[in-house]
Amino acid sequence: MSEAPHTVKSYEEELKNLNANIIKMGSACEDSLGKAIQAITTRDNNIAEAVIQEDEKIDKYETLIEQQVVNLIALRQPMAIDLRETVTALKMSSDLERIGDLAKNISKRTLLLNENLPKNLVDSLNRVSTNVQKQLKSTLDAYLERSAPMAVNVWEGDEQIDDLTNLCMQEVIKYLKENEKNLEDGTHLLFVTKNIERIGDHTTNVAEQVYYLVKGEYLEGDRPKGTEPIVTGEK
Amino acid sequence: MRKNGVKMIKIKAKDVDVFYGKKQALFNISLDIEENQVTALIGPSGCGKSTFLRCLNRMNDVIDICNVKGEILINDFNINDKSCDVVRLREKIGMVFQKPNPFPKTLYENVSYGPTIHGMAQSKQEMDEIVETSLKKAALWEEVKDRLHEPGTGLSGGQQQRLCIARAISVRPEVILMDEPCSALDPIATAQIEELIDELKKEHTIIIVTHSMAQAARVSQNTGFFHLGQLIEHGSTDKIFKNPDNKKTQDYITGRFG
Repeated sequence: MSEAPHTVKSYEEELKNLNANIIKMGSACEDSLGKAIQAITTRDNNIAEAVIQEDEKIDKYETLIEQQVVNLIALRQPMAIDLRETVTALKMSSDLERIGDLAKNISKRTLLLNENLPKNLVDSLNRVSTNVQKQLKSTLDAYLERSAPMAVNVWEGDEQIDDLTNLCMQEVIKYLKENEKNLEDGTHLLFVTKNIERIGDHTTNVAEQVYYLVKGEYLEGDRPKGTEPIVTGEK
Repeated sequence: MRKNGVKMIKIKAKDVDVFYGKKQALFNISLDIEENQVTALIGPSGCGKSTFLRCLNRMNDVIDICNVKGEILINDFNINDKSCDVVRLREKIGMVFQKPNPFPKTLYENVSYGPTIHGMAQSKQEMDEIVETSLKKAALWEEVKDRLHEPGTGLSGGQQQRLCIARAISVRPEVILMDEPCSALDPIATAQIEELIDELKKEHTIIIVTHSMAQAARVSQNTGFFHLGQLIEHGSTDKIFKNPDNKKTQDYITGRFG
């Protein structure tokens, strides 16, 4: 935060603390997502178990941030930039919490998958997730730097994720069609792919919040959309 | 208030400078006050907000060393013009002060004083009506209707302030100036005055000076921020408190000043 300090030091501390918790929560989400992807692509169940356990930590951050926000509003009546810091922290924490949940869900499915997945599917998942991880990192950097242009970059990048998700979905559907035995793994993989895409959407929400925080106005216009999502495998 | 989407301006201050002797208290203030809206003036002590408020009904005239330059147009008439009848002006522009200051007279006399000197009632009955309407508009009638002939100074602080508001509105002013009207009142009385301000803006244009940012945010539609005799920023209250343009405004309202 580049603002001059508040006259009341304890207020300044409370806002700094809120800010620090968002950053910690964001890092925890980044970590969970990274591990969830590592677990599924390297088929490492220990890592998947760790992701499932760490979700509790992320949930606790959300509760803590919510309490801090309610306290700030009740006891400090924040105005202007402080108000925006407070309100966006609340909204960001709820998107980050969902990111944590989705990473956990990926890991739960990882535990149910067979040892050997076709390489092309793993590569495809890797492509989408690398992109989403990059987006999440950029969003948290935009928050740290209080940078509206960085937030806009993330916002615009969501389109590419939609496209990569659809490609990945198509490959999973192909895999499903190949053999009835693929039904279980294929279904999990569809959900995993969708989860990664959803993480991308929540990341974009966070980026929108960062933009509002910095500029005091909302990002205008429709969110960029990639190709139409695939609803069924039938053409 | 807007007519056909255009903001109606009640008061237009143009390049107003105020001096107390050699010391300049206000620098080049230009400010439009919207009709039938509440405008809050905020800023640290000594920033000139009360001085500006007092320019609007020429209250600074009573201070010998005070010298006001520039134009203040109310309904397009420059009140600083020599031809301005100050008594008539103050009939149009009422004022409520920080400390409730009822006259040491009965409630009835407090409210009827203005209408009497301005010859607004032809009969006792007409005067009774003015007193009743004014007290009702000031949300005081129900509490005092059975003791109109008791001294006004016997009321509680909040009731006294509402009495002063009744006294101010009894002459049907177009504009009401309020200089920290709630700073001597408890939260309940403050809420009553704030509710009253909300009602009064339907018929009057209100300008309120307040040290309470929360109060400015609650009661006003427009806010002006003064600092060291300058008007730093003026705009919709909602914009000022959510996303002010000026860094000084932001530092002040977020408690980062000095």
